[in-house]
Amino acid sequence: MITLDIQNLEAKIGEKQILKGLNLQLEEGKVHAIMGPNGAGKSTLSKAIVGHYDVSIVGGDILFKGKSIKDMEPEERAKEGIFLSFQNPVEVPGVNNAYFLRTALNAKRVHEGKEELNAAEFLRLMKSHLSELGMKPDMISRSLNEGFSGGEKKRNEILQMLILEPDVIILDEIDSGLDIDALRAVSEGINKMKDGKRSFLVITHYSRILDYIEPDYIHVLKDGQIVKTAGAELVAQLEEEGYDSIAIEQ
Amino acid sequence: MRLNSFKNKNLEELATLLAISPQNRPLKKFIEMGGLPSKKSEAYRYFNIESLLDGEYESLDYTPKVVNEGEEIVIENGVITTAPQGVRVYYEPCEQIDDDHFDPLYYLSHALYPRTIKIEVDGDRELKIVHRFTKSYAIINYRIVLFNQANRHSTIYESFEGELVQNSFIMYGYDMHIAPDSSFRVVKLQTLQNQNYSMLASHKINVEKNGSCIFKSFDLGGDHALQLIKVELDEYAHIDAQHLLYLNNDSKRGTVSQIIHKGQHSTSNQEAKNILDGASRGIFDALIKVEHSAKYTKAIQNSKAILLHDKAYMVSKPQLEIYIDELEASHGSTTGQLDPQQLFYLQSRGISAIEARKMLVIAFANTMIETIRDSRHQELIRNEFDKVFYSKED
Repeated sequence: MITLDIQNLEAKIGEKQILKGLNLQLEEGKVHAIMGPNGAGKSTLSKAIVGHYDVSIVGGDILFKGKSIKDMEPEERAKEGIFLSFQNPVEVPGVNNAYFLRTALNAKRVHEGKEELNAAEFLRLMKSHLSELGMKPDMISRSLNEGFSGGEKKRNEILQMLILEPDVIILDEIDSGLDIDALRAVSEGINKMKDGKRSFLVITHYSRILDYIEPDYIHVLKDGQIVKTAGAELVAQLEEEGYDSIAIEQ
Repeated sequence: MRLNSFKNKNLEELATLLAISPQNRPLKKFIEMGGLPSKKSEAYRYFNIESLLDGEYESLDYTPKVVNEGEEIVIENGVITTAPQGVRVYYEPCEQIDDDHFDPLYYLSHALYPRTIKIEVDGDRELKIVHRFTKSYAIINYRIVLFNQANRHSTIYESFEGELVQNSFIMYGYDMHIAPDSSFRVVKLQTLQNQNYSMLASHKINVEKNGSCIFKSFDLGGDHALQLIKVELDEYAHIDAQHLLYLNNDSKRGTVSQIIHKGQHSTSNQEAKNILDGASRGIFDALIKVEHSAKYTKAIQNSKAILLHDKAYMVSKPQLEIYIDELEASHGSTTGQLDPQQLFYLQSRGISAIEARKMLVIAFANTMIETIRDSRHQELIRNEFDKVFYSKED
């Protein structure tokens, strides 16, 4: 079953067209990795899916579980079940991490017709995930991402993912700035989320993260389009021959 | 009463009009300063004072009433109605009027209300002062003198009730004397809705040797109000002044202040945070003056503003006037908007645009709100924030 169906997507940032008729289908329960050279449009694709204000969609469509989301507000897409783990999560001084995450979770629960969690229930849920990610307990009482190291920010993204339990998870350069231990902890968090139903879109420059999160499909994005889709074996070819080799095949 | 009828009157004429002696010191000072302020007056340059002075108001009778015992000091329409046991609250002529206040209305207010409300704060304690206004279309004018004792540490929570009045004009203010080696903390919370009342609060704060004043004002909502504060710091005296403004609609509010370092090793830290929505105008016109006698002073002054609407406007004028070399001083001012990246981040987790906006507005203010020691009072301020946030007219 297809959870996210991107059809002939054309998108601009400012006046510059970045995505030029991109087609991509994410299958339920599968890990899709997007690889590509700098400037190919990988981050623009992730931004287009979540409705970032930088990106304007000028053609094509994005269907989530069969429903078009391209005109939805970012918060509506999130409540539907789409989650983007940011490459550089922004710091938000003064917004308490736990308060933020409880507000987000309860917004989603209300959207799903469930009861909101009270502070005590939420704290229990949060604490159960903190130790798994090797996060210090005081991080939940600090301001959102403020003063966090690169690794702490990424772990915090994974914590949000574990709590919000989205259906489609987009990981934008999740491995950037992580040391081996942090990468392992983050990858374990991600692997825990694999349940045979949830779909992953892993956007990366390097194959390192794919040693930890085994992809089912590799898509190569170049010049605003998916130019090749193959199995995990494509990673080795890209490592050896680079992205130019893909252009030759087209 | 129409205050504008005082315009162009000399001392004798005004004394006759007000039925007070031409020897009245505050009245003489008021005339010496040029009488009623106008939009050209330094203290009121950014505030529409003339429309307030031009209003027709009912004058009130300030005859003292029986004071009931209660948990808080209640001053209703300029008259004490309630006071807690153990707090000395009484009426007395004000003997220590500032000689050189920058606000002419400080003197007019004293002249019109010669019998000030005197509050002596004994020991270490917390007090609540409630200013209650129930008269519409009235000018309500009163002065408060606050004293504490040496080596004592007190807190005053000041609040205002006037939701039921219409178009009144309040002039009030403190003459505050902070004793040596003592600390005095004042936390003011005032939410105004349009057309309840406008306010001018003209204060004088004297901080004696080794004394410390913490003055925190939380001014929220609409309408027109200005606090004009003059502070004098003796040796090793300190003031920590924090002003939070969160305005909506076409409100004009803010702080005009002078902090004067007179004694050596005196320190001041003044910080303003301003959140301006609608077509509101925030004012932070603040001077720190370091006199020749105030060697080794430390003075810090900062103003930050967030504009939530393209019609919102911030007047930010931090100023330093320094007459010595041996000091540490800095001042700064920034004005910006909510960070779109932060807004998007919150929205991308399912938080609605309006809630995300509110979270960021509160976050900006939180560094000040969290400095309030009493958590119930913190909660009160946050609740007022919520009310103002959801009540704005788009």
